[in-house]
Amino acid sequence: MKNTSVENITAGSFSLLLHIALLGLFVIGMDSQSIPMSIAQTEQVEIVQATMMDETNILQEMVRQQEVEDKKRNDEQARQDLVQQRLEDTQKELARKELEYRDQQERAKIEQQQRETKAKQEQEKIAKLEQDRKQEEIKQQQAVAERKIAEEKRTKADQERKVAEQKQKQAEQDRKHEEELKSKAEQERKAAEKKKQEAEKERKAEEARKLEAEKERKAEESRKLKAEVDRKKAEELKLKAEEARKAEEARKVEAERKAQIAEADRLLQDSLASEQQEQESKRIAGVVDQYSLMIKQRIKRNWLRPGIAESGLQSTLRVTLLPSGDVKQVVVVKSSGNAIFDRSAESAVYRAAPWPQPTDPKAAAALRDFQFIFKPE
Amino acid sequence: MTKLWLIALGLLVSVLSWQARAELVIEITGGSEAALPIALVPFGSEGITAPIDMSEVIRNDLAGSGRFAPLPKQDLISQPHEQAEVNFSDWRLLRSEGLVIGKVSSVDGQTYDVQFQLFDVYKGQQLVGKRYQVPTSGLRRLSHQIADQIYHALTGEIGVFATRLAFVTVINNADGSKRFALQVSDADGANPRTVLQSKEPIMSPNWSPDGERLSYVSFENGKTEVFVQEMTSGRRDSVASFKGINSAPSWSPDGKKLALTLSKGGNPEIYVLDLASGNLSRVTHNSQSIDTEAVWLPNSKNLLFTSDRGGRPQIYKVSVDGGSATRITFEGNYNSSPDVSSDGRFVAMVHGIKGKYYIAVQDLASGAVQVLTETGRDESPSFAPNSRMILYATERNGKGVLAAVSVDGRIQQRLGEAGIDVREPAWSPIRK
Repeated sequence: MKNTSVENITAGSFSLLLHIALLGLFVIGMDSQSIPMSIAQTEQVEIVQATMMDETNILQEMVRQQEVEDKKRNDEQARQDLVQQRLEDTQKELARKELEYRDQQERAKIEQQQRETKAKQEQEKIAKLEQDRKQEEIKQQQAVAERKIAEEKRTKADQERKVAEQKQKQAEQDRKHEEELKSKAEQERKAAEKKKQEAEKERKAEEARKLEAEKERKAEESRKLKAEVDRKKAEELKLKAEEARKAEEARKVEAERKAQIAEADRLLQDSLASEQQEQESKRIAGVVDQYSLMIKQRIKRNWLRPGIAESGLQSTLRVTLLPSGDVKQVVVVKSSGNAIFDRSAESAVYRAAPWPQPTDPKAAAALRDFQFIFKPE
Repeated sequence: MTKLWLIALGLLVSVLSWQARAELVIEITGGSEAALPIALVPFGSEGITAPIDMSEVIRNDLAGSGRFAPLPKQDLISQPHEQAEVNFSDWRLLRSEGLVIGKVSSVDGQTYDVQFQLFDVYKGQQLVGKRYQVPTSGLRRLSHQIADQIYHALTGEIGVFATRLAFVTVINNADGSKRFALQVSDADGANPRTVLQSKEPIMSPNWSPDGERLSYVSFENGKTEVFVQEMTSGRRDSVASFKGINSAPSWSPDGKKLALTLSKGGNPEIYVLDLASGNLSRVTHNSQSIDTEAVWLPNSKNLLFTSDRGGRPQIYKVSVDGGSATRITFEGNYNSSPDVSSDGRFVAMVHGIKGKYYIAVQDLASGAVQVLTETGRDESPSFAPNSRMILYATERNGKGVLAAVSVDGRIQQRLGEAGIDVREPAWSPIRK
């Protein structure tokens, strides 16, 4: 439907579309194949067409309207046909569903019958089982009764046995009673004897108690004495401890005093030692200075400077000495730029050998490495 | 315990600080420019008796320069001729700075093979070592050349022992006549050769810069005349025989021109003569005074000359192209006969004090003047080509002798043989 409409519009507005397409060609240049662009313009055309409608086209339009009307009618018929069709379809569907329902009902009935039959059979089975159970119960009851009769018989035998036993017991009791009486007399005699013995024992105990009291008194006396002695001893000990403490304290004080003295002494020694050290350093420095001066003079005397007109020459040499005072190594660390001048300095160092050496080994050791700066003025 | 540690630490620190200043720094200033002790071992000669004692020539050269003090021969510990025979510690004990050894052998009776080595005794290193083959006649010159190399190696300066001296000798004949001779000798005055003899005076010899020619003034034709003579061929040309005085020739540094004193215009003036073209150009124009004894400065643009235009003879400086002259000497009332050192630093001159004449030197930059000689009868100063020494004529026992003095005046040298009256010396350039 939509496509048809577009085609109609396209046919009707072909010339204008052509113009616009041409214009579009001008505008978009070479990009005439740009399809999205053409469609966009076609949609614009619909609007433009309405305003541009010409009178000469009215008839044509009416025909077109009629065609549209016819088309609508036809369409309506087709739609009603379709509705009828759908109605029929629905009825058919309902009939089908009815059948389906009946079928289902039938099936449910059969199933119900089956279920009932099954239940009946189940009940019968249960009844039978119940009957079996009851018969079994009766059997059991009979067995219990029999057991009870046996039990009663056993009980009666038991009672008879018990009576016999009772009789025997009575006889035994009587015999025991007799014996008891006899033993009681004996006991009484024994008790009298025991009483006598106990009185004796009591007397002895009293005696012993008295002895014990005396002993206790003596012990107490002794204890008191001992306590006194102990007290005195403790006092003595305490006194001694106090004395010891005091002595310890005194010893500590003394030790501390001695430590202080020792410390002071040590500090004094230290300061003396460092003073000595300092004096030693000073002495060595003095010797080094003295020998440095001697070495300087000696090298100066031995420096045969070439008569070079060039001014401002200066050579720096590093010299290492052997313990013998002979030159171990001479290195020109900074040349004057004039080989002759440098060599004259080197020669001066060698010519001065053996250099004066102090006898003091420390001072001598300090006079091993030198740096000499040679300059004419 | 802590205190012990502190003490230990203190000790450590003091030891460290002690070590830190272990390298003593000592500054040596002064020193002396005394002669360098050098051991010259007589050259060995293998199976021959050498025509000359080369090491003796070398010894004299070095000793005569005042820069070296060769060890006395009797002090030489050993006589090595090859390096393998050298025990450096021996030579160190003698405190000689250098050691020279060498040997001479004959190749064919007329050609000699000579080799020498110079060692730095303290370092035990060879400084120079060379080998030559020379004819008998070349042995003396070779000795001077070896001396030059030793001199150069140990002083850094150019040696001038192989150069020559030109001078004039005068012999008074028994009949009262005189015989003048222009002679050339080795730089030590030895080996003199006569290049010109005349009954008339010869004056002012002057070496060309290449040392191949001499210019001088000769009276042989009854008047002053300037000649140029080639040393090898003996060929000579008169280059200036104008009317009046023709004197005081001086070679330009390029050897193409001569500065002269000519009085052809009536008054002695300074001229420059182009030797190839013979063109003359006048430099001074002062008819009231004598202008003479021109010498070239090394720049070839200026001349120094003597003039009495100020009343007394003084030295002036003038452009070769003429123009006004400026006086450069102001000390004393007599300064004449200038000679400029080849390095351009000094001018040597005759300096008159109260009727006595000394050789003095003036520092051209500072103007400081130093009088170098003492006799009072000194003349004709001429710089050695190394600018170190000044050759001059003086008088001893009534006779002219040659002497030399160092620019600082500390080294004095006498040259040549006694008994001959010698004047007007000129020190040659370095021979190529």
